[in-house]
Amino acid sequence: MRAYELIKETFCRKIYILIVHLSWLTLYGIFYWLFPPSASEFSEFGRFIFIWGGFLLPLALSAGIFGDDISSGRICVLVTKPFWPGELYIYRLLGLSLQAAVHFILAWCVIFILHALMRKGSMDNLGLWLFASWLLFNTCAALSTSLSVVVGRAYNALLLLVVIVTGFFVVSQLMFSLKQQAETGVLFSFIRFACPPFKLLYKFACGEYGKYSLTVGRFSLAKSVACVVHSLILTVVYSIVGIVLLSRRQFSCEGD
Amino acid sequence: MNYNNNKQTAIVECKQLTKVYKGLLAGRSRAVCALKNISLSVNKGQIVGLIGPNGAGKSTLLNLMAGLIFSTEGCVTVCGHPARSIKARSGLGYMPEHPTFLGRYSARAVLRYHGALLGLSRKAISLQTDKSIQRLQLQEFIDRPCSDFSQGMKQRLALAVALMNNPQLLLFDEPSNGLDPVGIIQLRDLLKQLRDSGTAIVISSHRLGELEKLTSDYIFLYRGQIVSFGDRIASGQAGRLRVQLVSDGSYIAEKLLSPSRTIGVSDKELEIAVDNVDEVPDIVSNLVKGGARIRSVNLQTEDIEDIFLRLYNERN
Repeated sequence: MRAYELIKETFCRKIYILIVHLSWLTLYGIFYWLFPPSASEFSEFGRFIFIWGGFLLPLALSAGIFGDDISSGRICVLVTKPFWPGELYIYRLLGLSLQAAVHFILAWCVIFILHALMRKGSMDNLGLWLFASWLLFNTCAALSTSLSVVVGRAYNALLLLVVIVTGFFVVSQLMFSLKQQAETGVLFSFIRFACPPFKLLYKFACGEYGKYSLTVGRFSLAKSVACVVHSLILTVVYSIVGIVLLSRRQFSCEGD
Repeated sequence: MNYNNNKQTAIVECKQLTKVYKGLLAGRSRAVCALKNISLSVNKGQIVGLIGPNGAGKSTLLNLMAGLIFSTEGCVTVCGHPARSIKARSGLGYMPEHPTFLGRYSARAVLRYHGALLGLSRKAISLQTDKSIQRLQLQEFIDRPCSDFSQGMKQRLALAVALMNNPQLLLFDEPSNGLDPVGIIQLRDLLKQLRDSGTAIVISSHRLGELEKLTSDYIFLYRGQIVSFGDRIASGQAGRLRVQLVSDGSYIAEKLLSPSRTIGVSDKELEIAVDNVDEVPDIVSNLVKGGARIRSVNLQTEDIEDIFLRLYNERN
């Protein structure tokens, strides 16, 4: 019952959520309609879904998942209920993940319908792109939800967006200038494996670990599985951070 | 309600409770001590009013009891368990000052949601919802979305949420906020029923008149410390005796009254502090025996507002 209600809550929190989903799905459709990709250039369209669905969608949806509760004072009633605060976090994140799964299935349907109507373009590798986007969604949603516990306001999506974009800019500059130095290897490994797995999942979806990644090629299956497992581990790690923060955080309803 | 040792069943106990708020990057100099060395207990079937000026620490104390914040020193136990533990929370009902709900949920959905969070079965939730509808008059708006609710409706719903698990301890922050007079009377009756059934209730409120109708047990907080338990004074035992005289008041006061007793003296009037109503006949008799010619006698007992103002003024 508790799990069901908390998962359902993530779907029904605000009308805004439905608007976000519909806008995003429309965007995919428009992009596909305007620039129907051929099989060889499908990665352009895949990258579009990957960024919008995998990165921007979780920021939009998970931004206020705790922030709204904290700023409205609802959290004070929620955390006085007799259950482990981690449950609140886990079920809400599961709700988000389920929402994203439905979102990506609908995205596939939208593109399939357009593809059938237009009789041009390709759906080559779309399933893998959507799967990679869903994995990225989960990782980014866990990160954003954890941040939402700390920031306590609904602005954390913007904050996270600014931090990540700035981070990428700084890192790319660093990589460019420090490429020749051997000591930077540790830094690059850290960025690659501890930060959201943009590059790994992108390569995975592009088929760089084998044409369709999950087919058994030259170690492609192992690399693809490793990629998926890595993104799941990151999701779990970010979630644990969020759960610890939620358990240790103090909440106060304004009085006096 | 006790400062320390308590033979009765204590539902909530605070021992040497201190709470210091520190800013994230603030140094020691910017720390604010919200509560200082508070020890108290609230018993089964007792209503305690938490009163004090703004910033006295009432909300902090309530938040500590609810397990929403950590104490800097000391501990709080609810039903014998640490306040933040799951066992303590299972016996707790909490109602914040400004309850908010998901706007898209109806009152029924809110009750179902909170019932599920409490771990109740579908049947138990349904029973509790029906019970809440009846005793809190929720019929009219049970299926309306919360976004349409007035403050009073939200208060009723928040109360229903707080009562879902039949708690042993209820914590209220301004419970009558936004309620109409009928709602206030119903709330008062409900709280009395809950008290009679053994629920311990702690109410933080600035509405002293309302509190007075519910309880004679108060905790007056001032700058994070308990100043006085008002129960002895508020129970009508203390007051001031206003004596109108025909003869000279100052002479009588000097001759017959100790300075500690004398509150005010004028030519024709004496104001005498009374610790106990039973003292009044003796005081009047002594005055008459001492030669005072009395025109009228009026005993004014302190109500909670007077006590509040007196305690507040004594400290300012």
